[in-house]
Amino acid sequence: MYPQQVHQYLKGFFAENECPIIGEENHSLTVQLTVDIDKRIMNRPFYWQYVEATNSEPNPAQVTFITDQTAMAGNLFGEVIHYGSPRLNQLFHATGELGAYVQLFEKVDHAMGQVILTPWLGVNFKVSYCCDRTKEMLYSFGINLLTGVIKEDFHESIYASDFDTVPADNVFHVQYIIKPVRALERLNAAVESIIEQDDHTWAMEAQKRWQRDQRVLDYFYEDVEDKPECYEIERKALEEQYESKIKIDIINGGLFYLF
Amino acid sequence: MKIERSSEWQEGFISRVNHLEKWHSWSLYKMNYDIVKMKLIPDFTGLQATNYLPNLKPLAHQLDAAETVIERMNGKAILADEVGLGKTIEAGLILKEYLLRGLVKRALILAPASLINQWIEELNIKFHIPAIAYKKNCPIERYDVLIMSMDTAKKSPHRERIYEQDYDMIIIDEAHKLKNNKTQIYEFVQGLKKKFCLLLTATPIQNDVFELYYLISLLKPGHLGNYDTFQSAFSASKHHLEHNDYLKELVNQVMVRNRREDTGIEWTNRCVQIVPITFTAEEREVYDMIGSLENTGSFALITLQKEMCSSKEATALTLTNMLDEHGQSQEIEAILAKLMTLEVNSKAEKALEIVEQAKDKVIIFTEYRATQIYLQWYLHSKGITSVLFNGKFNKSKRDYMKHLFKERAQVLIATEAGGEGINLQFCHHVINYDLPWNPMKLEQRIGRVHRLGQEHDVHIYNLAIENTIEEKILALLHTKIDVFEKVVGDLDAILTNFKESV
Repeated sequence: MYPQQVHQYLKGFFAENECPIIGEENHSLTVQLTVDIDKRIMNRPFYWQYVEATNSEPNPAQVTFITDQTAMAGNLFGEVIHYGSPRLNQLFHATGELGAYVQLFEKVDHAMGQVILTPWLGVNFKVSYCCDRTKEMLYSFGINLLTGVIKEDFHESIYASDFDTVPADNVFHVQYIIKPVRALERLNAAVESIIEQDDHTWAMEAQKRWQRDQRVLDYFYEDVEDKPECYEIERKALEEQYESKIKIDIINGGLFYLF
Repeated sequence: MKIERSSEWQEGFISRVNHLEKWHSWSLYKMNYDIVKMKLIPDFTGLQATNYLPNLKPLAHQLDAAETVIERMNGKAILADEVGLGKTIEAGLILKEYLLRGLVKRALILAPASLINQWIEELNIKFHIPAIAYKKNCPIERYDVLIMSMDTAKKSPHRERIYEQDYDMIIIDEAHKLKNNKTQIYEFVQGLKKKFCLLLTATPIQNDVFELYYLISLLKPGHLGNYDTFQSAFSASKHHLEHNDYLKELVNQVMVRNRREDTGIEWTNRCVQIVPITFTAEEREVYDMIGSLENTGSFALITLQKEMCSSKEATALTLTNMLDEHGQSQEIEAILAKLMTLEVNSKAEKALEIVEQAKDKVIIFTEYRATQIYLQWYLHSKGITSVLFNGKFNKSKRDYMKHLFKERAQVLIATEAGGEGINLQFCHHVINYDLPWNPMKLEQRIGRVHRLGQEHDVHIYNLAIENTIEEKILALLHTKIDVFEKVVGDLDAILTNFKESV
């Protein structure tokens, strides 16, 4: 993420969360936080505890973020923020929490007259393969809540569309037939079936590394009748190090009424 | 295979379908997806950490080391680069990579007390890893990356507190402190769970090959067999071993060692020489008198002989202590009387000559406090300014002394303990006034000046008095270096630029 991208991201994030931008230069941004965003990104729980306990006037922070230190001339006072910096990670985390669930209605040109929108459940999954190494994949699925048809790369297909948060006058949205919870179960199954068909050599190799290290350990304690406690500790460490598992996380998802 | 999934998202979703909570905005939804996609770890191999550290410019050998440890050694390794090549950077990269990949949530770092602040600074500033120093009564269960001194960690009640935690990664700096399996710290580390583990030391062998055996047995018990099979397979004794090629290969499976010359960086030369010194007839007489002392243990005798090679002040101090302990002894009093008449210290004169010829900053290392003080007086009487340095100084005093040396004095006189944790690249001359038994101490001393950032050739002078115990020390140092090179790999010159076959 280049400094310019960080800058754009910050602007977008604060605009979406109703934090007014008070000043902006090419490489810096001064913003007045709201109480909610201050709590999420500023790391000062004790202050907020104090405000709430004493019922005093909350005073959310005003911050200047410097998005490109190298390009900065003059001596502006502020917090340098870049890809990898802890503050940006907090903002990413907040974005994750504040951008997890949507219900949206596709915008349709009024010239088309009255149109019917179809309900879909869209969900974005992150799948992680873990042993002593990791690899992650994204899967985006949508399921038609009338027919049960499943579509891959769902997010990409709707990425460029415009949506309203409430249905416009000229649209009629059909109620779903398949309940969202059932639909979610089907998408979960779809992800699992993809995982099942994937190549899992990685897990076999981790298993081999594990067995090799376990043999070395057993050799060390070969002639010891009562294995000492450290043997058990080492054995457990190998298990934690090499045991392969798969994690499925849902990044976000929601109900989409599409034309 | 185990599949883990969380129902958290589903719960939030159901509550929104039932109109209990607010939906989010399309923009934030898209931003969230884009961020996750950007941060995705696309492959099992390759370093992700560098993408997140735009201000860190790691050197090629540091990146190689990090990749090797993660991909070939599965995260358990000895980092044994020569002094000054940035082992801390390598460890930081590896830790960062595991944190990013979610394989390490909590890490424990053990370091000598004098290096804790340096670790905190490097990890927080260079790597954005929120590392915190251990303090009594601090809530360690809430700290994900904890740094503490080995001396604290091994003692109760700290020891028990650490054992209660569950760390995914253990990093131990100056790991040669674990060379002896009978020590408290060794036992402590043995009892720690080591899912991922890095041992940092420039000197995995200091005296004999068993030290390396114990170090590796801590990291990966069984890798070199158990003690008996190890000993018999390599016919290992303190200064001897066979089948060293095979052993070297085994060692290289768990150890990364970069040498200055492999780094691709232009290093300045290291000019090392042994400077032979001849005693005056009077000094020789006292030395011989000490050698013929009766009723003295061999250890005490060797100590006295070494001290006599250093200064009459160091010798006198020990002799006086012996008198205090054992009562009158005509023999000792005779030596003391003769000692007091000595007017010339041949070694100090030689040191002075080197300092004068250098016309530059010089560090003198001695093993004895009494010699340290004597040398300061002696140099002062010849119009040469000096500052003293010893390892017991706290951080601010160290920094002050370093500052004084840089700005005001020509010579820094350090005792052995001053060897670790100070960087003095502005100096190019090192005199080893007394020789230690352990060659790696010499390497650590030289490493204070011959490290990244040194712009000049460095000159090392090893002083040794002819026909004394110091010649035996030299021979033993050669033997130990030979064992190190057979098992670990070549060493930069520490005794002399000319290789001697033993």
